[in-house]
Amino acid sequence: MAGWKSLFPVDLAEESRLSRREFARFMALVSAGFTGGIGYLYLRRKPLDGAPAAASAEGRPAEVKVCRVEDLAPGNSFLFTYRDAKDRCILIHTPKGEWRAYRQTCTHLGCAVRWDGRRLECPCHNGAFEVDLGFPVAGPPTRPLSRLNLELRPDGWVWIHGDLPKPTLPGQGGDA
Amino acid sequence: MIPPAKSHLTGAAMAVVLLVVLIQAYLFETVLEAVLDGQRGVLPAALAVSAVLSALALFLAFKAPTLDQHK
Repeated sequence: MAGWKSLFPVDLAEESRLSRREFARFMALVSAGFTGGIGYLYLRRKPLDGAPAAASAEGRPAEVKVCRVEDLAPGNSFLFTYRDAKDRCILIHTPKGEWRAYRQTCTHLGCAVRWDGRRLECPCHNGAFEVDLGFPVAGPPTRPLSRLNLELRPDGWVWIHGDLPKPTLPGQGGDA
Repeated sequence: MIPPAKSHLTGAAMAVVLLVVLIQAYLFETVLEAVLDGQRGVLPAALAVSAVLSALALFLAFKAPTLDQHK
């Protein structure tokens, strides 16, 4: 019965042991995998789902007119797309008469936020954002909504313009 | 039958490799969030930093025999 052991002199306990060098090699390969992931993001030209496209990807202008000023009464909102058909945004005329525009994508898991007349709410996980700067005030989101620059021009239209939306910082964005 | 050489990384080298992996995980998560926010400008710098960290980890794990402690 013990004959096969002499033919296959393998110590199973020793074979299953993972040395520190082998573990370090595995960790180094994991590290290289992260680098590969970043490299993939760098080389990928098509934007990820939920991310805005580059400004000229679809030949869209860097500024768009959204709606006429008189068409949006205080306390109401208007949905539109900015960079491409997937870049959903929301224009808000606050009850105080101020104008705000944000990307509609919740910073938690990407659901579409909606205006409830007082703040922006995400129906998926009951997140909420205040309207002045887009900061989260309830629920799981921890980052503010991406705010867009807007301008009320003499032609009577609300225009959205500027660089790609970024998370709001105090003092940025288009107050009107 | 010749037994395999018994060698292992020093504790410092092992700690560096683990630290690099932690930094890489945080870096990747941060870069992914930035890309989803439309900020692709961070990608070149992040890729360079990540490549350097990976090179360090790979060197320590594969090509640093002097860091072994032979028993």
